[in-house]
Amino acid sequence: MSPTPNDYLERIKAEIRAEADAARIRDPLPRIDPAPRATVTCDDGIDRKRLDYAIGELTGADYRAFIDQAFRALLKRAPDDAGSEAQARLLAAGAPKAEILGNLRWSREGRHVGARVRGLLPRYVLAKLVRVPVLGYFAEWGLALAGLPMLLRHQRAADTANAARFNAATDAQREHGRRIDELHDALSGLRDDFSALRDELRDQLHRALLRLDALETRAARIEQRCDASANGQIELRHHVHAINHWVVSLQDSLAGLEDAAAADRAGADAFAAAMTDDATEARARAARHAEWSAALVARLAAPRVVLDLGSGDGIWLSALIARNAAASGIEANPVLAESARQRGLPVVVDDPQAALARCADASLDGLTLGVDVLDAKACVAMLHEARRALQPGGCLLLRVEAVPYRLDDGAALDAARWSARLAAAGLAVSGVLDAGSACAVLARRAAP
Amino acid sequence: MKIAMLVPGLAPHDAVSNDVLHMTAALRGDGHEVALFALNARGVDETVHAPRDLEAWLCSPSDIVIYHFCTGWGFALDVLRRTQARRIVRYHNITPPEFFTGWSDGYVAACAEGRAQLDAFAALECELYLGDSPFNIEDFTSRGVAPGRCAVLAPFHEVEQLQTIAPDARRIPSATPLLLMVGRLSPNKGYIDLVDALAASVANAPPDAHLLMIGKLDANLAAYGDAVQSRIAARGLESRVTWLQDANGAELRAAYERADALVLLSRHEGFCVPLIEAMALGTPVVALASSAMPWTIGDAGLVWESVEPHLIAATIARLRSDGRLRESLRARGRERYARAFAPAVLGRELHTIMQRFVQ
Repeated sequence: MSPTPNDYLERIKAEIRAEADAARIRDPLPRIDPAPRATVTCDDGIDRKRLDYAIGELTGADYRAFIDQAFRALLKRAPDDAGSEAQARLLAAGAPKAEILGNLRWSREGRHVGARVRGLLPRYVLAKLVRVPVLGYFAEWGLALAGLPMLLRHQRAADTANAARFNAATDAQREHGRRIDELHDALSGLRDDFSALRDELRDQLHRALLRLDALETRAARIEQRCDASANGQIELRHHVHAINHWVVSLQDSLAGLEDAAAADRAGADAFAAAMTDDATEARARAARHAEWSAALVARLAAPRVVLDLGSGDGIWLSALIARNAAASGIEANPVLAESARQRGLPVVVDDPQAALARCADASLDGLTLGVDVLDAKACVAMLHEARRALQPGGCLLLRVEAVPYRLDDGAALDAARWSARLAAAGLAVSGVLDAGSACAVLARRAAP
Repeated sequence: MKIAMLVPGLAPHDAVSNDVLHMTAALRGDGHEVALFALNARGVDETVHAPRDLEAWLCSPSDIVIYHFCTGWGFALDVLRRTQARRIVRYHNITPPEFFTGWSDGYVAACAEGRAQLDAFAALECELYLGDSPFNIEDFTSRGVAPGRCAVLAPFHEVEQLQTIAPDARRIPSATPLLLMVGRLSPNKGYIDLVDALAASVANAPPDAHLLMIGKLDANLAAYGDAVQSRIAARGLESRVTWLQDANGAELRAAYERADALVLLSRHEGFCVPLIEAMALGTPVVALASSAMPWTIGDAGLVWESVEPHLIAATIARLRSDGRLRESLRARGRERYARAFAPAVLGRELHTIMQRFVQ
């Protein structure tokens, strides 16, 4: 059979043993005593060093105390629950203490500990002997009979001990009763104190709850006011926004108005500028005004009082005055009127129709007006007024010409139409001075 | 199926915590809803609930509580008594209190209390008692738990992460042979025997032997730490011992790579994760045949029934001189790790174990 791996190791070990034996003889190690260990002081009440007891030392206690002492002495440990219970059941079944001690001493664990209990072995043997069927029965009877005197003595001693214990127990019970009464009285006092304290606490709690309710009510009111204030703030904010919006609108409106006024001013300025800047038209106009004014003045008797309605910037009026007519003008546009006055012309700002109505009957030698003065509605009435204000034989000159600052359509410049109207107003048309794009219609009030 | 994982505390790089977290991940990978419950948790990137919320979280008798039993905790015992859910006791072993006698009364009391609860847990007749090793499970089978309710599953670990870390050897001694010990300074871990073995190594040729100890010392075991230092001084080995209490993963990796052997003379281990770290990283293993260590090592190391210093020293010397033996142990170690303790293997075994609850 071939050597196994373990055979190999065993052979090696044998060789090593031999080498060790040789080394031990060759170089022995000096002996060193082991270090002393601390004395065992068990804090668990178990004297592990003591292994010798007398049986009387271990049988003095009773029941659990006896079992506990037996475990600690013979097994060197505290009893476990199961072990203690097992031995207690034996005691309750009538087993003698020697049997309990023997069970522990000669258990596997007890043999390992090896404690010696003097006097235990014969008692333990007897305890086990009585458990043998038949033989044990007779042995137990024999032991009982042999021990009867001792049993009687033990009985009397037990009676005395029991009586002493009973007296002691009675005294102790009496003392306990007294103590219980004292404690009961103290407890009653504590109970009363507790009740009073409880009532006081209850009152304080009730008062505290009332105060808490009051605080809650006040808090609710404050909360309502806060809500109302918040709502008011919101409404105020809305009003402020509305006012802001209105102010903005107002500002926009004022700005619009300012813009319109500025536009009007600009328009008036533009009109004035148009009037003064149109040089070609101005020369033409001046030429025909000179012609017309000459024609008119020639037909007027002294003092030649002439009223010009709608003088504008006074160009026609200045032509009349240049012909030595006692002319004055009426103009509704204050800008134009001022422009004429600044050139020294006698122009009054007034409504031409109202000014004509204020003229006395037959107070004028001559009356001149442009077609732009004649209001479409009041044209006939104005012409009748014109006849009224003229002296008999007085002369009216109607200028039929486009005015740059008025919107004239083609119908307004129709001389024939005006001639017809003048005739309708009782004025006799005495001539039409044609100047191309404009003309003047002369008319007289018939002399009586 | 909801699974509540109950443990007293969680901390980074702690063997029990690693088992809890990786087992949780494996169970979630199988589609189970798993929640962690612990009194305290630090350095854990996971939601951890308060233990008092555990019973409210479970809502069906088909749900499971897995309690990681590593110390005495009355609350856990009460929960397992009350709950209607199925119960698994994941047992990591509790060091017998005798090891701490004379060193720390607190450790004695705590270990005694923990081991005292073994009877109580055994009496609960939980659906499954899951030990890190057959040695651990014996604590329950010896208390009457039926073998049908017991199973063995090696603990989940972080060896894979250790294999990927770049080594940092700046603080690792370069002497040879280099004896390595990994584990907290505790009386059951045989540090004093280790110092004696180093003394024997130094007495034998070659004389440059060095011991590297990587492990923390709990302040409550200061007396034991003093005893170890006293033995080092008594043997005149102050210059031949390096003790790193704060080694990180990179330094641990470098230590395994540089060491001639991992020498573990512990007298009580529930599984011993450093053994599989050494096997995975190719470090030959020399150990005492105590508790769970023979099972963990298998045939992948040199396991002795005695911690006699010359025996250990001769073993180290043989490893230094016998290249075939070194390679054999390295290969055996890697093969055993891959076959028995690789995460995928543990995951499959856990899945198989949980089938009894799914079905």
